[in-house]
Amino acid sequence: MTEPAAGVIHDIGYQRYQGARLGRRYAVRALYTHSLRTAYGLGRSAKSKVFPWLVVGIVGIVAVVVTAVRAVAGEVVLTYPGLPDAVFPLLILFGAIAGPELLSRDLHSGVLSLYFSRPVRRSDYALAKLAALVSAIWLLLAGAQLVMYLGAVFTVDGWSAIWDETTDLAGGLLYSAVHALVVAALAVLIASLLSRRAVAAPIVVAAFLVTLPVVGLLEAVGGETARQISGLFSPGTLVLGVRAWLFGSGVDDVPDLGGFEPLYAVVTLGLVAACVGLLLVRYRKVRA
Amino acid sequence: MINLTIVRLTLRGLFGRRRFLLLLPLPALIVGLALLAESLGATPPDWGQPVLVGLGFAAVLPVLALIVGASVLGSEIDDGTAVHLLAKPLPRREIVLSKLLVAFVVTAVVVGAGMLLAGLIAGSAELALGLLAGTAVGALAYTALFLALSLLTRRPVLVGLAYILVWEGLLTNLLTGTRVLSIQQYAISVADRVSGTDLFTGALSPQVSLLMAAGVAVVATALAVDRLRSFALTGDTS
Amino acid sequence: MTTVELSGVSRWYGNVVAVNDVTMSLGPGVTGLLGPNGAGKTTLLHMMAGFLAPSRGTVTVDGAPVWRHPAIYRTLGLITEREAVPGFLTGAEFVLSSARLHKLPDPVAAARQAVEMVDLGDAQHRRVGTYSKGMKQRIRVAAALVHDPAVLLLDEPFNGMDPRQRLHMMEVLHQLGETGRTVLFSSHILEEVAQLSGTVQVIVAGRLAASGDYRTIRRLMTHRPHVFTIHSSDDRRLAVALLAKEPVVGVELDPAAGLTVRTSDYGTFTRALPAVAVAERIRVTRVLPADESLESVFSYLVAS
Repeated sequence: MTEPAAGVIHDIGYQRYQGARLGRRYAVRALYTHSLRTAYGLGRSAKSKVFPWLVVGIVGIVAVVVTAVRAVAGEVVLTYPGLPDAVFPLLILFGAIAGPELLSRDLHSGVLSLYFSRPVRRSDYALAKLAALVSAIWLLLAGAQLVMYLGAVFTVDGWSAIWDETTDLAGGLLYSAVHALVVAALAVLIASLLSRRAVAAPIVVAAFLVTLPVVGLLEAVGGETARQISGLFSPGTLVLGVRAWLFGSGVDDVPDLGGFEPLYAVVTLGLVAACVGLLLVRYRKVRA
Repeated sequence: MINLTIVRLTLRGLFGRRRFLLLLPLPALIVGLALLAESLGATPPDWGQPVLVGLGFAAVLPVLALIVGASVLGSEIDDGTAVHLLAKPLPRREIVLSKLLVAFVVTAVVVGAGMLLAGLIAGSAELALGLLAGTAVGALAYTALFLALSLLTRRPVLVGLAYILVWEGLLTNLLTGTRVLSIQQYAISVADRVSGTDLFTGALSPQVSLLMAAGVAVVATALAVDRLRSFALTGDTS
Repeated sequence: MTTVELSGVSRWYGNVVAVNDVTMSLGPGVTGLLGPNGAGKTTLLHMMAGFLAPSRGTVTVDGAPVWRHPAIYRTLGLITEREAVPGFLTGAEFVLSSARLHKLPDPVAAARQAVEMVDLGDAQHRRVGTYSKGMKQRIRVAAALVHDPAVLLLDEPFNGMDPRQRLHMMEVLHQLGETGRTVLFSSHILEEVAQLSGTVQVIVAGRLAASGDYRTIRRLMTHRPHVFTIHSSDDRRLAVALLAKEPVVGVELDPAAGLTVRTSDYGTFTRALPAVAVAERIRVTRVLPADESLESVFSYLVAS
């Protein structure tokens, strides 16, 4: 049991790493990719995949049903821009789940000090996370719109019809990006302020839900002008205004906004910019 | 049936956490919006639906009930202090009922205050009482459901959110047959009948609403009690 | 006098067997549950405390089952490993709430007594959130003792305590054991168990490897040589003489440590040694059993 008290340091080849270091850009890209995978629960346990893929499933079903109806009855139930508006509550849910997953967890587990002691700058971290959520939501919508497109391509005849479909799809994808930006910007900002996921998620939802009645109020209360600008006060109706600006109002369910469309676009841009700005300020101030 | 010490501990736990205090302004929004509408010259028939139903019953009530109901037992299970309550010779029913009481009363009072005031702003005491009644019914059913969820799943808040957004937000608006399974409708229908108002209409009869709300509360609570009896501590790996 | 009985208790999670057919009986006094990390000590303790259902077998306290039976907590106190205390309460309030939840006739007095017992009288009016790790542990012990349970189960109670706190806690537990309570504590640190308990339950990889007094366990393992360290006036001559004797299996000479003798038969050797010393006219100054510590028992058990 008693051995002579000797001490030897074995040379097992430990050396400082002298090779190339991939630097900040690679680190940010890795953070972005990792966050995007986290939003969909990839690379994690089955439980973390339930909610994101549930949302994907429902949105997918909507896309399939719409495509099927178009193929069989020839009737267009939902246009490409119509899809994000139709499944908006699901986008809110996705943002409410993924946002806290991406941001609140790091705040809670005290991992930020590890991140910030690497080449990744604070602003890089915040923007990478935001970009990941924007991409996640956009992919969700784009995938569904692609399904609709493929179905349509096989239904319509003639190259000009297909070309029309393609341009419609492009418009739809652009609109999906607008949705993704708005939802992600708000979800990420709110999640960055709260370190507990279970609290951040309902508050993200509340932020979207609570503003909706304001719109309803203005619609019911004010005159024509009030009704036209009422949509500015809730994210869901705000993006609808951008849709009116991009594709023309009075079409489908898009309300007639009487010339205020560009205002919607400006306010949307302002909202996203404000969220991003606040996010950056938040991460400059947070104690790592 | 109700344990005062548990009630006291739960109340302190709720109000001691900063994040809960951040939620208290939500019902104030209802009042604020009502005042805003009135100041803009709108009449209750104009702002009744969006403020009382759209904001009150559809957003503030379920969200507050979710946060309170899921954390009243769930936060203790999460941070490990549940053993303090469970390693005691208390019938599990007593524990669940005490916590449910706290969740229900807090939700009903906090949201109810906002709704009551909004009803008074609309100029009718009957409306105010009706809204309070609807809030109480909704609060009971919601908090019982979310408390049960906190024992049934590991992510009760997300399941609750999915219920609010997907089930109540989306599906029950699309498929009118499912309205009988929507707690939101119970609350609205009871408020409608008790106040006799024209400002909004509930889709169900008050009897069905009360019955279903009571049913949800009883079933959810029974489930919760049973799950608490079989509460198991997961062993650590060391 | 309360007995905790485990009978054929097993617990598995899918394919992983955490506890494998454990049968033991715990009586009054302090028992140490010893085992390496991952051996199933926590699982076993949770089953004893009624916080986990055994997949097979029964756990009873004085004949009454513990699972789904909250009344058992009148006689049972549990301190889990995870140091979870509601941070917003003060120490005194925490123990008092425990007393009230137990429906004690005089909760204030009981709480005060419990706090004094763990020596936290000075800090009791501070919020638990401000306590150090060791203090949190102690206040949990106070809360678990406030109803004067006959059975006390502790999972790694000395985690995070500094030596002075550990000594104090050992005092407390020793006292409880002396006054007839059944105390079981788990640990993977051999010194703690050796200092505090005479009775040991050794659990390795989910199985109960040994139970009882550790010295007796040691002696039962006759196929392991006993090791003695002997200092004498002439170690080398003694070594040669001893090696000629039957029970001696090996000898080792070291100028500093003296003579180390390994023998397979404890009894015969202890009789043979004085006879040899007298015959050779060697003065033996020290005879020490070198490995009859819990550590050697433990490492032998684990190694087998």
